[in-house]
Amino acid sequence: MKTFLFCVLVLLVILIGAYLYRVLRGPTIFDRVLGLNGISTKAIILLIVIGLYFDRVDMFIDISTGYALLNSVGALAVAKYLEQKGLS
Amino acid sequence: MLTRSRPISSEFLFFKTMTLFVFWVLLSASFDWIHLALGLACSFGVTWLNSGHSPFIPKFGLWLRIFLYLPWLFYKIVQSSLHLTKLILDPALPIEPQLISVESKLNHHAAIVLFGNSITLTPGTITAEVDHNKLIVHAIDNVSREDLESKQMESKIAEIFKDEKPDL
Amino acid sequence: MEILSIIFIVGGLFFLIVAAIGVIRLPDVFSRSHAVSLTDSLGAFLMLVGIALHDELGKNTLKILVVLALLYILNPVIAHATIRAAVRAGLKPWKKENS
Repeated sequence: MKTFLFCVLVLLVILIGAYLYRVLRGPTIFDRVLGLNGISTKAIILLIVIGLYFDRVDMFIDISTGYALLNSVGALAVAKYLEQKGLS
Repeated sequence: MLTRSRPISSEFLFFKTMTLFVFWVLLSASFDWIHLALGLACSFGVTWLNSGHSPFIPKFGLWLRIFLYLPWLFYKIVQSSLHLTKLILDPALPIEPQLISVESKLNHHAAIVLFGNSITLTPGTITAEVDHNKLIVHAIDNVSREDLESKQMESKIAEIFKDEKPDL
Repeated sequence: MEILSIIFIVGGLFFLIVAAIGVIRLPDVFSRSHAVSLTDSLGAFLMLVGIALHDELGKNTLKILVVLALLYILNPVIAHATIRAAVRAGLKPWKKENS
């Protein structure tokens, strides 16, 4: 089971790399924001799997809840700012 | 806070405080009286600061009907996810992205919110703009567009909100 | 129970991989956002349900369900805000001819 969870962790990190390619490469700024949003969803899942791997789910799930709330506020703020500023 | 547009109902304050307090207990998981009192004070403070925004409290029957709606929504999500998976894994990439405008007959703020979120949650369609009851939706191909234009989801939501007072 | 949770986690990973391929392959912002919403809705659901089945029932299961509900409420809002900003900035959907 430990080996399986380790493989899941490695695969999730590779997937984050794919999103990071989109963030670095993206033609417009909205692509970058979208990639960051996808990375944050992956990071929430990654934190819970890390908790399962170290047998401390009760601690890591609190961290991931806080991360989800903070990230949503940040992403909404960036989207609102871009809505007023537009492409430039 | 001084220029409050709508009056505060005490019922609204009570329900929102209790929701936040349950969330606090779930996160802190300690039952000392000092922690509980601190949580109650914090959740009441947050509710008081936010009390000007939305005094809409769903009745119990409405909650029940929304919960009965969720399994159907989940069935739609699975169906369109499989469709989108087929589209992405196809080597020819047969997508036809288009912006379409949908006019709905819903006449309640909460109904429009539920409708827009359901559209966005279903992969293949995403809400781009909302103006009263006109929505601009981006659909990835013709199958998703026809699914949206069959008005199935809208009639389900109109069924949920059928005995609310229209306020739009 | 363990077998069931492994099946759920592998199913979730499949959808996450498909979404990552979509984010790299698809041509414009709007269609990429469909791929991201595929991750959020089905991939995260299957992964988190698999993890909740692996643990024994208790407080942790409830907290995982709270995280899942937060994801399902907040992610459409963020996607809608980003796409609305893109539409107001004047981006047009991708067409086959001018690619």
